[in-house]
Amino acid sequence: MIRLALAQMRRSLPRLVSAGIAVAIGTAFVAATLVAGNVITRTTYDSMVASLAQADLVVRGSELTPDTLAAVRATDGVAAADGRVALWTELAAGGQRAYPEVTTRASDPRLEAQQVRSGRLPDAPGEIALPASLADRLDLAVGDEVRTVRTTWDPETGEPSESTESLAVVGLTEDPSGAFARTGGAAVVHPDDAARWYDQEWGGEGLAYDAIVVALEPQADLEAARAALADAAPGTVVQTRDERAQQLTAELTGDTEALTAVVLGFAAIALLVAALVVTNTFQVLVAQRTRTLALLRCVGADKRQVRRSVLVEAALLGAAASAAGIAVGLALAQVTLLVLGNVNPDVPLPTTVPVSAAVLAVPFAVGTVVTLVAALAPARAATRVAPLAALRPADAPVLGTRASRGRLALALLLTVGGGGLLVGGVALSGSEGGVMVGLPVGLLGGALSFVGVLVGALLWIPPVVALAGRLLARTGPSARLAAANTLRNPRRTSATSAALLIGVTLVAMMSTGAASARTTLASEFDAQFPVDVVVRDPNLGATDPSATPQITSDVVSRLAAVEGVEAVAHSRVVTVAWADDEGDLGWEELQVLPPDTARNVLLDPAQADGLADDTVVVTRALAERYGLADGDPVTLAVDGGPGTEVTRDVVVTDFAGALLATPTTLGALGVDLPTNELWLRLAADADTVAVMDDVQEALSDSALQVFGVALERAMFENVIDTLLAIVLGLLAAAVVIALIGVANTLSLSVIERRRESATLRAIGMSRAQLRGSLAVEGMLVAVVGAVLGSALGLVYGWAGTLTVLRALGDVALELPWRELGAVLAVAVAAGLLASVLPARSAVRTSPVEALAVE
Amino acid sequence: MTTSATPPAGPPARLPAVRARGLTKVYGSGPSAVEALVDADMDVPAGEFTAIMGPSGSGKSTLMHLLAGLDSVTRGQAFIGDLDITTLDDRELTRLRRDRVGFVFQSFNLLPMFTAEQNIVLPLELAGRPVDRAWFDTLVTTLALGDRLDHRPSELSGGQQQRVAIARALIAKPDVVFADEPTGNLDSRAGAQVLSFLRRSVRELGRTVIMVTHDPSAAAYADRVVLIADGRIAGEISDPTPESVLAGLDALRTLDEVAVP
Ligand SMILES: Nc1ncnc2c1ncn2[C@@H]1O[C@H](COP(=O)(O)OP(=O)(O)OP(=O)(O)O)[C@@H](O)[C@H]1O
Ligand SMILES: [Mg+2]
Repeated sequence: MIRLALAQMRRSLPRLVSAGIAVAIGTAFVAATLVAGNVITRTTYDSMVASLAQADLVVRGSELTPDTLAAVRATDGVAAADGRVALWTELAAGGQRAYPEVTTRASDPRLEAQQVRSGRLPDAPGEIALPASLADRLDLAVGDEVRTVRTTWDPETGEPSESTESLAVVGLTEDPSGAFARTGGAAVVHPDDAARWYDQEWGGEGLAYDAIVVALEPQADLEAARAALADAAPGTVVQTRDERAQQLTAELTGDTEALTAVVLGFAAIALLVAALVVTNTFQVLVAQRTRTLALLRCVGADKRQVRRSVLVEAALLGAAASAAGIAVGLALAQVTLLVLGNVNPDVPLPTTVPVSAAVLAVPFAVGTVVTLVAALAPARAATRVAPLAALRPADAPVLGTRASRGRLALALLLTVGGGGLLVGGVALSGSEGGVMVGLPVGLLGGALSFVGVLVGALLWIPPVVALAGRLLARTGPSARLAAANTLRNPRRTSATSAALLIGVTLVAMMSTGAASARTTLASEFDAQFPVDVVVRDPNLGATDPSATPQITSDVVSRLAAVEGVEAVAHSRVVTVAWADDEGDLGWEELQVLPPDTARNVLLDPAQADGLADDTVVVTRALAERYGLADGDPVTLAVDGGPGTEVTRDVVVTDFAGALLATPTTLGALGVDLPTNELWLRLAADADTVAVMDDVQEALSDSALQVFGVALERAMFENVIDTLLAIVLGLLAAAVVIALIGVANTLSLSVIERRRESATLRAIGMSRAQLRGSLAVEGMLVAVVGAVLGSALGLVYGWAGTLTVLRALGDVALELPWRELGAVLAVAVAAGLLASVLPARSAVRTSPVEALAVE
Repeated sequence: MTTSATPPAGPPARLPAVRARGLTKVYGSGPSAVEALVDADMDVPAGEFTAIMGPSGSGKSTLMHLLAGLDSVTRGQAFIGDLDITTLDDRELTRLRRDRVGFVFQSFNLLPMFTAEQNIVLPLELAGRPVDRAWFDTLVTTLALGDRLDHRPSELSGGQQQRVAIARALIAKPDVVFADEPTGNLDSRAGAQVLSFLRRSVRELGRTVIMVTHDPSAAAYADRVVLIADGRIAGEISDPTPESVLAGLDALRTLDEVAVP
């Protein structure tokens, strides 16, 4: 049977190769993901080892005090020991700031993780050595001064205050083994400084180290020293450097493993699609070999042998494809490493991919098993070939077209049940906290209904193809022929379309979800901020006249000059105490702007409706809380001000702040304030991200704070777009595999229809018509898959958005035209492309072949 | 089109519909070259039913392929009407097949996904020409397909399928119909039916038919039999009967035996 399988394989090699490519892409995906996980783990481990320098042992415990350190140092065999604390500090020099990790000068060179490039390490308090790259950024050299800016809390009152110290830069370091690569390099200070800073930060709780690193005498015995240390410092754990590095790595790479699992999920989707392609290929191959198989049965092969011949073929294909996939995956990972290493030389990446047994074995096993499982159904079909089939005329094989009742029932059950759960998930999430219940229910429903849709593909894809075909058939005989051909093998067409449908559904779902989330959350932001951008003086609210105003005319003109900023309005903000006729209402921020100015910059000008010299605008939330209505009188007084009290009529609007009044009202309150806030309106079509960059740039040397809906939206859209791009990139593999499937099915059909093609040529079909017919056929299958997938994805995307975001308020369901249009364009192009090679072989068929018998 | 598409009105004008001049086909090259056809000269008058006969491997199919423009010639010329088809490119050959020649195949070669009617009109559709309903009805009546038009090939008998194929070959009113062993897959009764339809399409519908066959009784339906042996035209029998054809074939065999002692 192996010989038979090999002989069969040789004959069908080109077809098997494309099915193999589908599997190989899937396994390459798995292999590359595993390797990436390995690289991250390895890099982290190397970096952890490096951070422990040449330490022989590491002492860990919850109470590592300076006394413990002293005891460790006094232990037999210990040459040197240092306490390690986790410290960060802000450094400022010139206009630049940085926030590096800080380590202490080691007492022994063996415990120093970094190397000195120039100068020396700090010998005394008040000195600091900086990573060379950081010094570059801060424009510092040996001999310069750098300021540390530290926020400390008064232990009594808890009041924060800033303290600044000046440090002398005595050396520049480098970190060739990447000990601090994760945090971008660590500054080295004297232990006394570190202890003092630690004290400030933790409010004098007493110094406690994270770990004590120990270097032993050259002749000391590791195990003896370990035992001695455990005695000297009771309640601690003594680990070797390697043990500690492994533990740190495990702690740090937990997220990596979760990420690897998610990416493997996408690889699984790609493999599922590849499995469909394999099933389809073998289905067709078995059909085409009906006569051969029947002949074998006639000469005595039993069913088991026939089945085994198909399975052996699948196993060989799976093994070869998986091996190729692993090679490709590793090669891709290697190239990526080389590129990353060149782009980012600071991060010490391994130069060759770390290949573990798992990296080779897992993708190989997965790829082979998936191929084998995918071939089970075709193998069963092969056993059903009756010996009698050898005697029938060799017409193009027609596969079974009727879907079984069981399949219909299962598909209906899954689709309807899953759909019900999906709706249930949306309904459940309507209430507060319901998302936690609604989301899993919705996810389960979505998954079940999608499986139902796929199980039922054979039932509902052919009618859709038929409908599309009927529409197309009007355009001419080529299209009519194509439409008729797609319906000859409903099973084949369904499977091919369904493979594409999987990827497209997920792409459409993600795009729809992202677009809907973007719009929904954007309107949420609109409700939180009155204007696109707020620029605020940090001393805001203080009525202290001695504070120098930070908003200068220079700042205003620079902001106004930023491209995309359409209007800049001066606003004043003051904290007021307010009261209605029933009593005090506490303190609120009062925004002060002239009505026209306010209307000009507000996101929704209606927020300032009714603003006048004798009114105060109150946001709806506050009005509801205190039972205020339009026309109610309230009194306002500036906290700590001259004490003038004014009475104004309430106007309730959707103002996205607290209170809003005119400058006349502020004047009546008896305070004279400079502008302490600017409100910016951006052009409607502005590229928010770019404008915000420019705005930040314009304010870079001031202490002004920037916030507002534009910034939030820009950051948020950045996150959504990045995530979407990554997910779409990961899904691309599934779509590519499905498109290979389209091309493969078409090629198989063309081989099967050789004689027909020749007949058509003999009765007057031109080459262009034949080519066109195949192009239409490929497009029909691809476009039906893409359109159905888009529709499904839209439904899932909307359901998902509703489930997740409904609790937030009104959900905007978006139709991502651009993405869906792109999906459709890709499908049309791919359908055309998929037909190119099959069409070439079809038009090469000479009409003479139509006359030939067998 | 240079020739009239309607049947000639009067008695046969006997203009050659198909001519071969020094037609030669060599497959392969060097020592393994096979001379399938050598210097064939032949005239097939319009409105005649011609059969080509000869031993297996003698070059019958090759001759027909060359006359129909399905294969490239090594040497010589083949004419349909006064058009030298050996000079045509693929596009012109496609047009020729649409307008001027029809084919009937041994294994019918109907498209399984189309009905009989759709199969019959397919050549016109491919050419983008309207269906001449009167002609269609004539064909359907002559070939007795009236009650089978909505059936797919899988629902038709071999004889019925071949009659559909003949209708398909005739629907575009071609100058010549080529048939390669059209009765090869049929039993003798269905074969006889198909042959008499071919003859009627010549007699009553004014077509020209060139048929390759192995069967002397099939050849007897023809107006003329061209004998071929070893790639060469070896003789001709007019108004053949099964007996005269058999005698002619026997003569060929004796020739062979004499030539290859
Ligand atoms: N494509 C080809 N390549 C090489 N030789 C060929 C090819 N086609 C035919 N021949 C050879 O040309 C010769 C004539 O073949 P042809 O098919 O014309 O014979 P035929 O008279 O139709 O035979 P049959 O009655 O068996 O159909 C044979 O010797 C055959 O082997
Ligand atoms: Mg032949």
